[in-house]
Amino acid sequence: MPQLRDSGTRSMHRSEPVPQAEMDGFCRIFGVETEYGVAVTGADSPVDAGQVAMTMFQPVVSRSRSTNTYLPNGSRLYLDVGSHPEYATAEARDPMDALAQDLAGERVMRGLARKAQDALRAAAGEHAVIHVFKNNVDSAGHAFGCHENYLVRRFVPLETIERQLLPFLITRQLYTGAGRVTEEGFQITQRADFLDEAVSSATTRSRPMVNTRDEPHADPDSFRRLHVIIGDSNRSQWATWMKLATTHLVLCVIEEAFRCGKPSGFEDCALDDPAAANRAVSRFLTGEAGFALSLQRHYYTVVERFLAKPSAHNNLSLTATNVMQIMTQWKLALDELEAGHYDALADRVDWAAKRRLFAALHKRRPDISFAQVEQLELDYHDIANGRLYASLSSRGQLHELLDDVAAERAMATPPSDTRAALRGRFVKQALDAGAQFSADWTHLTLTVPERREAVLLDPFSNEPTAEYERLMESL
Amino acid sequence: MPQQFEQAHPQQTSSDIEETILTSSQETQDQSDVLDDILDDIESTLETNAEEYVNSFVQKGGE
Repeated sequence: MPQLRDSGTRSMHRSEPVPQAEMDGFCRIFGVETEYGVAVTGADSPVDAGQVAMTMFQPVVSRSRSTNTYLPNGSRLYLDVGSHPEYATAEARDPMDALAQDLAGERVMRGLARKAQDALRAAAGEHAVIHVFKNNVDSAGHAFGCHENYLVRRFVPLETIERQLLPFLITRQLYTGAGRVTEEGFQITQRADFLDEAVSSATTRSRPMVNTRDEPHADPDSFRRLHVIIGDSNRSQWATWMKLATTHLVLCVIEEAFRCGKPSGFEDCALDDPAAANRAVSRFLTGEAGFALSLQRHYYTVVERFLAKPSAHNNLSLTATNVMQIMTQWKLALDELEAGHYDALADRVDWAAKRRLFAALHKRRPDISFAQVEQLELDYHDIANGRLYASLSSRGQLHELLDDVAAERAMATPPSDTRAALRGRFVKQALDAGAQFSADWTHLTLTVPERREAVLLDPFSNEPTAEYERLMESL
Repeated sequence: MPQQFEQAHPQQTSSDIEETILTSSQETQDQSDVLDDILDDIESTLETNAEEYVNSFVQKGGE
């Protein structure tokens, strides 16, 4: 069975057994970690982006004495190696909740950037602008990530997940890719050219696709945390929702097959050369990735068949998203792609939105330079001062599943039906009380006024434990 | 699009999503007009020094 049994959390806290319903059903914890890129333009004198990222985190440091903190909505905010501001969504049971949390993250980053920009302008002139890019590649070809986390049942061997899921992850980029202009032409993904090693070794060893540390932040005997790194950061809300939702359905099929000891139907999907396939998918528009559509059709058909069985649990344990809705959107995307109607997807697929707009730009200004198109592309990803995304959405050209009010609300409100609700309440009260605290995904620690700790091992549970109640009483 | 914030989840109902998507793809408004408006919106972005803008973004580390 599982090869990876090196979880650091294994022996530390054996507590109550995992509720059987969690093992029998399809409920899942979803999470998205987004690394942001930082740049400055318009300054009177050269400004170091790393320094600017530190300035952005000054309010965090003065509050938490660290660049690593948790927020009242349960999410994690930190400064990663290389001065990447990073935001990890709190535990969500539904892709729609994870989307709300991710949008809250964009707003948190925007707030930090705007504040830092005010300070920067005092020193570097009124035209200084801080850009915070929710993308995956800088101008020098450094790539960075948007990682998805899925809690999966440990009875499925890691090798099976990798073998059966990787072809799906590579080909789902047809509708979740964020797109990128390159001098060799437009690609539908940001990262394919930078992930060769990761994708190749994922078929043989676990490092790139699944975190070797294998920290499930849950009962390690029952769950593992699948850490997916081959995905683009999305501005499109539809794309963020879809990548989590469709991946969930494929994982459900794999889990159920193992549970019943039957084939999943994905056994023959393995790609001979995943790295080459990944690059080919990114060049879909040149016509070299026909296999990608066929594979997606196959995954769709197997999931559809699975859903038709009476054994498939009603709604597959999602709390907000209707499973048939996912299927409708999935089929529609594949149909439009097959018909070559890419512009029909421009209101939901990031790469299609970019492609359509850049075509219009070239038509209006045939002399437009490559650098200008690159700049416009970066502007699309700039969540602090970008104009393109806002223009597209306000003119109804990129539809949004959640509006400003919902995103604003998610900045202060954790998902109500997971451990995040407990963490969020703790962080809020600790901040309100001016207490000193620290946290990680499974621990809450109060250091001043008195030292108390609570361990929350079950990510699905929003029920306060006795330990948690005592912790809260100290506040 | 009505939102239901009193609910525990910030979701739209599935029919809301369907409706949003159907309305947006069935729009008969001349797409090129809208795209022109968007290009007007971002005109000033393109007036800055594009090379400098792009080259200013060099990130270290990550993942």
